[in-house]
Amino acid sequence: MMNIQKSHSLSGPVLLTILLFIAPLVMPTYWVILLSEILIMGLMAVSFNLLLGYTGLLSFGQGAFFGIGAYSAALMLQAGHENLFLILLAGMLVPLLAALVVGFFSVRLDEIFFAMITLGFGMLFFSIAHSWIDVTGGSDGLPVFALPGLNLFGVVQLTFYAPISMYYLIFVTVLICVCLLRMIVHSPFGLILKAMRENKQRVSYAGGNVRVLRIAAFAISGAFTGLAGVLFCLFNNMATPEFMHWSFSAKPVIMSVIGGTGVFLGPLFGAGVFFILEQIIIQFTENWMFFLGIVLVPIVLFFPEGVFGTLRNKFYKVAGRGLQPPSARGKRQKNEKGTV
Amino acid sequence: MSADSVLHIENLGHSYGKFKVIEDISLSIGKGEMSALIGPNGAGKTTFYNAISGKFKPSKGKVFLNGEDITGLPSHRIVNKGMCRSFQITNIFAELTVAENVFSPLVIQQNKHFRLHGNVFKDRQITEKAMHTLEQVGLSDRADQAVSTLAYGDKRLVEMALVLVRGPTVVLLDEPTAGMNPEETENMISLIRKLAKNSKTTFFITEHDMKVVFSLAEKIYVLHQGLLLAQGKPQDIRANEQVQEAYLGRKTHA
Repeated sequence: MMNIQKSHSLSGPVLLTILLFIAPLVMPTYWVILLSEILIMGLMAVSFNLLLGYTGLLSFGQGAFFGIGAYSAALMLQAGHENLFLILLAGMLVPLLAALVVGFFSVRLDEIFFAMITLGFGMLFFSIAHSWIDVTGGSDGLPVFALPGLNLFGVVQLTFYAPISMYYLIFVTVLICVCLLRMIVHSPFGLILKAMRENKQRVSYAGGNVRVLRIAAFAISGAFTGLAGVLFCLFNNMATPEFMHWSFSAKPVIMSVIGGTGVFLGPLFGAGVFFILEQIIIQFTENWMFFLGIVLVPIVLFFPEGVFGTLRNKFYKVAGRGLQPPSARGKRQKNEKGTV
Repeated sequence: MSADSVLHIENLGHSYGKFKVIEDISLSIGKGEMSALIGPNGAGKTTFYNAISGKFKPSKGKVFLNGEDITGLPSHRIVNKGMCRSFQITNIFAELTVAENVFSPLVIQQNKHFRLHGNVFKDRQITEKAMHTLEQVGLSDRADQAVSTLAYGDKRLVEMALVLVRGPTVVLLDEPTAGMNPEETENMISLIRKLAKNSKTTFFITEHDMKVVFSLAEKIYVLHQGLLLAQGKPQDIRANEQVQEAYLGRKTHA
């Protein structure tokens, strides 16, 4: 029997983890804070890409779950619950439930119709957050004064008050989530997600209930997006309705397109490019979105699999004759046997 | 309904608005039989398949699989009851590898499709069955290729593998040789014949190519303008005047 085992190279992700671990020790504080934000938005983008890159669903309402996670954290902190684990747990469960409801109504649609209904739900949540002033603080947002911390065996005290300490809390949470998401995309469930992306009718005729499978994917994505929202609320000291606005929901879309939807870590890479570009452009002009557009056009034109995805495939082509790029998509190799 | 009938259809009809595509079709297929459904273009063959395989609910009639009423059930439930189908237009997972294509129905059949951990490639219950099916259809040397890189005939074989891998009791094949060159057609026919001989599976195929039909089927059903015009052994169908007029005759004159 020939070898059908798929290899997943871990050297890249391990190197990245080490780099991200040492980064705050050698970087100026300003960049540590920026890197924290990149990691949070990167988690949102990777969770989002579980839908776009793996399941083939373009959700334009991920901001809603991000915001629900953020508000869950802010409300818990306001009520005096400062246990970090409880906050993270609630910040996953509440968006999970919301995503189950939204998914229930949305997943029967495809493509642009799915994008529009999720955008609609997102704006519905935005309106609630914006108008329900007694609970959410309306357009001013909900500030957070007391921040949770983590006491490691009485030796190290990590808090969200100091930038480096905050960075490590975010880094570890994001790392765990990304590892879990990676496990999911390589699992049997992950295979069926890719199968649905390719051909949902065939999944149905393979015996799979497409609707339930899609709802599950949507809920998992929503839960991790919500967790990113919790982190952002702690990072930002505030939950605001802006998180739920459709323009915020566009961010993971842009990040995934920049980084590449076909590669697991592509969207995280895209988040990095997004924020670093913003930092550079903002030095010259306030109108940075205009320049983002100018950058986005060539990316879409010349990097069909995203910057990260395309460069990585080039690297494998040049450097690794024997290596195969681990990919969300199937291996694109020529049919050496020829035709029958 | 006879006791050994696997697929039993009663007065099946389907209409789009006022237009009746198929009407009043009743038939009974015995276990392990190799039957074929033929008819000119637009006779309603694919509509018939769609109606019994759960693509949509037929407007009239009943469908029984192993004695159980499956009328109007969604396709995934019918598949889980043991009836799988192929499509006239190749319907596979294009960007996945051949192996991943064949794994997918097995993951679902073994109820592992909601498992968030583990690796299908290391699951021997899945890989061994998948490799067995790939060997049957002759694709085992291409297991790690993306199916988008395969030749057309091989893609049709992937479609066959997707249908067969779950070990269904009834297999519906919608024009398995559509678009194939003579060599690929030959290959597919001998594959179907081999499969039918070695298993208790019941095959029900639609086919354009009369040569294929008469060389394979033990029983033939003729569909004409949505109605079941005739049924019987190949030699009876060949001799049937109505059929000749409606279908075969026109073919020979053409």
